[in-house]
Amino acid sequence: MPLLNEEVKEQVKQQLADLAGRVRLLMFTQEFECQYCAETRQLVEEVGELSEQIAVEVYDFVEDKDRADELGVDKIPAVAVIGEEDYGIRFYGIPSGYEFTSLLEAIQTAAAGEPDLSEETLDALSELSEPVHLQVFVTPTCPYCPQAVVLGHHMAVASSMVRADMVEAQEFPHLATKYQVMGVPRTVINESTHIEGAAPEPMVLDKLREALAAEEE
Amino acid sequence: MEFEPKIAPPEAEGHEGNGTYELVIIGGGPAGLTAAIYTGRARISTHVCAGTLPGGQPANTADVDNFPGFPDGVDGTELAQRFQGQAKRFGAEVVPETVTEVDFSERPFTIRCSRNTYRAQAVIVATGASPRRLGIPGEDKFYGRGVSSCATCDGFFYRDKQVVVVGGGDAAIDESLFLTKFAEKVTVIHRRDELRATKIFRERAFANPKIDFVWDSVVEEILGDQTVTGVRVRNVKNGETSMLETDGVFVYIGMVPKSELFSGQLELDDNGYIVSNRRQHTNVPGVFVAGDVQDPHYRQVVTAAGTGAIAAMEAERYLGEYPY
Repeated sequence: MPLLNEEVKEQVKQQLADLAGRVRLLMFTQEFECQYCAETRQLVEEVGELSEQIAVEVYDFVEDKDRADELGVDKIPAVAVIGEEDYGIRFYGIPSGYEFTSLLEAIQTAAAGEPDLSEETLDALSELSEPVHLQVFVTPTCPYCPQAVVLGHHMAVASSMVRADMVEAQEFPHLATKYQVMGVPRTVINESTHIEGAAPEPMVLDKLREALAAEEE
Repeated sequence: MEFEPKIAPPEAEGHEGNGTYELVIIGGGPAGLTAAIYTGRARISTHVCAGTLPGGQPANTADVDNFPGFPDGVDGTELAQRFQGQAKRFGAEVVPETVTEVDFSERPFTIRCSRNTYRAQAVIVATGASPRRLGIPGEDKFYGRGVSSCATCDGFFYRDKQVVVVGGGDAAIDESLFLTKFAEKVTVIHRRDELRATKIFRERAFANPKIDFVWDSVVEEILGDQTVTGVRVRNVKNGETSMLETDGVFVYIGMVPKSELFSGQLELDDNGYIVSNRRQHTNVPGVFVAGDVQDPHYRQVVTAAGTGAIAAMEAERYLGEYPY
């Protein structure tokens, strides 16, 4: 049974009609597929069928370990959204519910390779000398979450130093516990610093600076 | 787990956004989107700055049971999406962007967002309302990590835990019922001795074995070190205070109108609501208002939509009389 109905397919087709470039969706699952691995694979495959610009590649987390390591994929289900280059856009857990929007946005962003961010943010990101890892924790029923996820992905495209993950909290409860996630969205920056809620771009930038400053001390 | 994909409109592109429209609508909830349906259909060039929560408050609601035309109720998000789809069908641009500044002192009016600036011959303000905060110690500290106003977002984190819901209106009771899907126990703390929520919610809540009530009481402090461990509760009748253990606090004590942006430009009442007449005019000709930002009384999806339609028809009439 398809996950996307005809009406949604039509909307997705329209939204992805003028992709600026080719996009590869690298999906990681395993032979005995985890709870949401099968659904994630199916979702990604169905999206892939809606644009000629999108290619879906399915990998086995165990057998293709080298590929996973290369991409920094450390848990499944995982989807790496890759444009002309690998900008560091990742989805861990199924991008369903509101996060389906984030997946479509990520495809468009990766295709264009051009982040939609303010000059100030772009300047700040271009000066990064340390790696930045953004993990945006979400639930699929959270209407505020895609804003945080999409912002992270734009930052990843803007700087090769930044990688940005959507992490679906319900599928990775151990990570939710580790990072004390009790509400979403919650963005964890480099393990140490975190942001509650869908914060505006300048505030995320400030927190990012704060995180890097804290590490230097 | 929710599989149903939800599609929001794509982010604004800098180049397509800037420009002049006959009408800009500030707010993408039921009021703003209903207005957009009407003005789009009237062939008025319409741009909607839809804010950070596309679809408005219904997108944050599990089920809407009282919107006509949905005899079995409707998922709040789905309803919000249907509004959007209908507005876009008639040609309105709906973009999830937040307005940072407005200038209503002369026409065309100026509406500034973080990246785009728009000019419009008429404006409909439909910014809605946001959850009222308790304003007590511990609330800020634990906001987003133990204190929440979005049960649909955060309910999952309270599986088999104990939560407190503060409030006694429809939202408080509706969300309490939703939280029983996850939490082991839901304690409703209400400052009066009866619920303000409609009868159907009261009946469901009283029948639910997971929900119990603390009456005539207010929460004075949220307690905890790293995580929320409890709340300090004061009985308003006898003044006694007590501690109640809990893992989380959901706050539903009403809404405050989102009108700060218009302070000094539009007339506001003492509670911050935008003042309008029965035809949804503000004190500035050409600026109309609809929905929760002007409604201290009803705040229903259907009343928001209703005032949105009125504002749209009045804007259409105004644009006819004063094209530019």
